[in-house]
Amino acid sequence: MLTKRQNLIETMKGGSPDRFVNQFEFMNVIHEAYLSTMCMPGQTVVDGWGITFSWPEGQLGAFPLHDEKHKVLKDITEWKKYVKAPKIPASDEFWAPAIAHANSVDRKEEYVAAVIAPGIFEMTHHLMGVEDALMAMYEEPEAMKELIDYLTQYELDVAKILVEKIHPDCIFHHDDWGSQKNSFVSPEMFDEFLVPAYKKIYGFYKANGVELIVHHNDAYSANLIPAMIEVGIDIWQGVMTTNNTPELIKKYGPQITFMGELDSGVIDFPGWTVENCAKHVRKACETCGKLFFVPNLTQGMNISSFPGVYDCVSKEIDRMSKEMF
Amino acid sequence: MAKIDEVKAMVEAGKTKLVPTLVQEALDEGSAAKDILQGMVDSMGIVGDKFSTGEIFVPEMLMAAKAMAKGVDVLKPLMSGDSSNSLGTCIIGTVAGDLHDIGKNLVSMMIESAGFTMVDLGVDVPAERWIEAIKENPNVTLVACSGLLTTTMPALKEAVQTIKGSGLTGFKVIVGGAPVTQEFANEIGADGFAPDAGSAAVKAVELVKA
Repeated sequence: MLTKRQNLIETMKGGSPDRFVNQFEFMNVIHEAYLSTMCMPGQTVVDGWGITFSWPEGQLGAFPLHDEKHKVLKDITEWKKYVKAPKIPASDEFWAPAIAHANSVDRKEEYVAAVIAPGIFEMTHHLMGVEDALMAMYEEPEAMKELIDYLTQYELDVAKILVEKIHPDCIFHHDDWGSQKNSFVSPEMFDEFLVPAYKKIYGFYKANGVELIVHHNDAYSANLIPAMIEVGIDIWQGVMTTNNTPELIKKYGPQITFMGELDSGVIDFPGWTVENCAKHVRKACETCGKLFFVPNLTQGMNISSFPGVYDCVSKEIDRMSKEMF
Repeated sequence: MAKIDEVKAMVEAGKTKLVPTLVQEALDEGSAAKDILQGMVDSMGIVGDKFSTGEIFVPEMLMAAKAMAKGVDVLKPLMSGDSSNSLGTCIIGTVAGDLHDIGKNLVSMMIESAGFTMVDLGVDVPAERWIEAIKENPNVTLVACSGLLTTTMPALKEAVQTIKGSGLTGFKVIVGGAPVTQEFANEIGADGFAPDAGSAAVKAVELVKA
């Protein structure tokens, strides 16, 4: 039997996996190395950039607030006045738990993974609201590119310390790039504003021992796949059914692996059922097949919004492995 | 190209800096304000269609809406008191517990560009606040409730049923958001549903003219 890591590699290269890669099983996330401020249910918190997040009790996640009182970046042309990157913790005391966790991982079995969230695009709209961020690409492209460069440099500074402290061999990086139906921006605009940033960031990781780049984006982004490949993404996590994943696997399979197809919205909801999980897992596995595909809820972590759903989906994937391998 | 056609083309292209000047030039050439406005409304209809079909993306839609708003600013002084183009007031917001506003904001821009006066209640709007807003504002013809999350679908139901059960009349209720379907809209008693911002504007006009 292959290790989790070997099985993933076989799946990604179109080789001979001996079962489905089961969701996030290959990734051992070093949560102690997560540098962003966490906002928990029922809380309102301000992060190191001054962005206010609120997580209403009983809802699915935290959201940045962008009324006039809370918007950090009020004028893109004056971004230097408003945007100040937080200090990156560097003390031995801070990093000790992350280093201990990373050292405890059997890297033949699993990848040591660092999580980066939010990503570059999300940071622009967390700072100023999504409408302002998107219009700034048209109205003040130079200022927008300067801001993106600044955010990219911060990510590179984070990358340097992550590499130094925990030597990750996987980066799990979040940045949502669309709605269920389309990317937020055109492929041309994506190439102009975001590809250069991600080439630098993912290029740095690849040049410093990181073997695997997993990018979370639970949206329609089939039109951005050439750019995803260009910047060095190995696995697109969160791929939704609206992308027509089976077609994408046929078209791009050897160049990028697709992780998802189990849309959280129709599986992970208050009245979820085992039967519904099983139905969607079966359909995903049968239509997407054994190679270049990892069946997975589209949520961006190894959790579900409603208790039991993630584990149920994992069991159903194991069931499909027994049936199909 | 007639000046009014240039206005239409530049609204569609999202040329925010050019549209005000072109609108003024169209007026100077003798075009009626209401005809220029109708031209811009028509352009936004095209923008909405292109967005619905995936031909254009969110920034292009935002820029077109902004361009139209700049043009309307030029026309406003000439149209005060002229309600012939108005479709009434639309109250819009996301329901209790839902903080997602991009879809709501896009829908608001598109409905406004179809000829409504918008009152945006923002996000996380409790059921009773919708009622207050309907009472506070004149000529409310449409109430647009957004819910993006499966967990806020009960709040969407509560909002619609509170509005419909309030005894207030003279308006229609439209709902939308990622998990919302026509079946769900029917189930909770909404008058209309739209799957995206472009079709929301079309549906909004259809509902209030019905």
